[in-house]
Amino acid sequence: MPKIKTLYFNELEYTQDSVFHFAAGIPGFEEHTAFLFIERADTSPLVFMQSLHDPAICFIVLPASSIDPDYRLELMPEEAVAVGLPYAETPSIGPEILPLALVTLTEGAEPVANLMSPIVLNLQAHKGIQAIQLGSPYALRHPLAPECQAAPCS
Amino acid sequence: MLVMRRRAGESFLIGADIEIEILEVGPTRVKLGIVAPAQLTISRKEVILTRAENLTASKSTDPAVIAWLSRKLGPAPVMDTVNCLTPADKNEKYLKNSGHKY
Repeated sequence: MPKIKTLYFNELEYTQDSVFHFAAGIPGFEEHTAFLFIERADTSPLVFMQSLHDPAICFIVLPASSIDPDYRLELMPEEAVAVGLPYAETPSIGPEILPLALVTLTEGAEPVANLMSPIVLNLQAHKGIQAIQLGSPYALRHPLAPECQAAPCS
Repeated sequence: MLVMRRRAGESFLIGADIEIEILEVGPTRVKLGIVAPAQLTISRKEVILTRAENLTASKSTDPAVIAWLSRKLGPAPVMDTVNCLTPADKNEKYLKNSGHKY
């Protein structure tokens, strides 16, 4: 099995069929076209989105539905195709399609998640895109834990 | 902010080199045509915002803060619904093909 160096978990073995392919990368990280999504029991429900191109790039993501149970996803026809769905198919969040929100942790500020531009995974085709929700009610910085604003409080 | 009214087929100029034409007006969207010098980058604002937020998110790497957040959110059966592959280190799982309902 191939191995990669990761930001949080040292060296990790993975299988090719666990890799998610992002044909166009994501804005700001266009050259990062392959990611692993790593879950750990001790940091649940967080998921780690590790770039295969650079060990230093590992995003923290959360399933959008865990932040907003009524989360709705809209894809433009070309986005549907990019994630491996038939043209203009309306995606339903389900066994095939999983939207994830990128989490931003800034010292001294409350943690936020990006519900406006979810990472959308096709779990069958193992393809991913970042699908900006145009005119959506979802925030670029959706507060995650508003009751606790300071950085690490245990 | 300058506000002007235009109909489909009409256009306006920004400086001498940039022309913006209203191509189509729909119920919820307008279609614009932009003629501008090639060296000008034209980006949708939400892509710029997303790029900036992605760059900030990529720096969210303090393990102490990550541990704090996961405690804060509490363990949730988030990925139980996704069939996971367990690699050599049994503590880690990878998202894999799912036949389950999410």
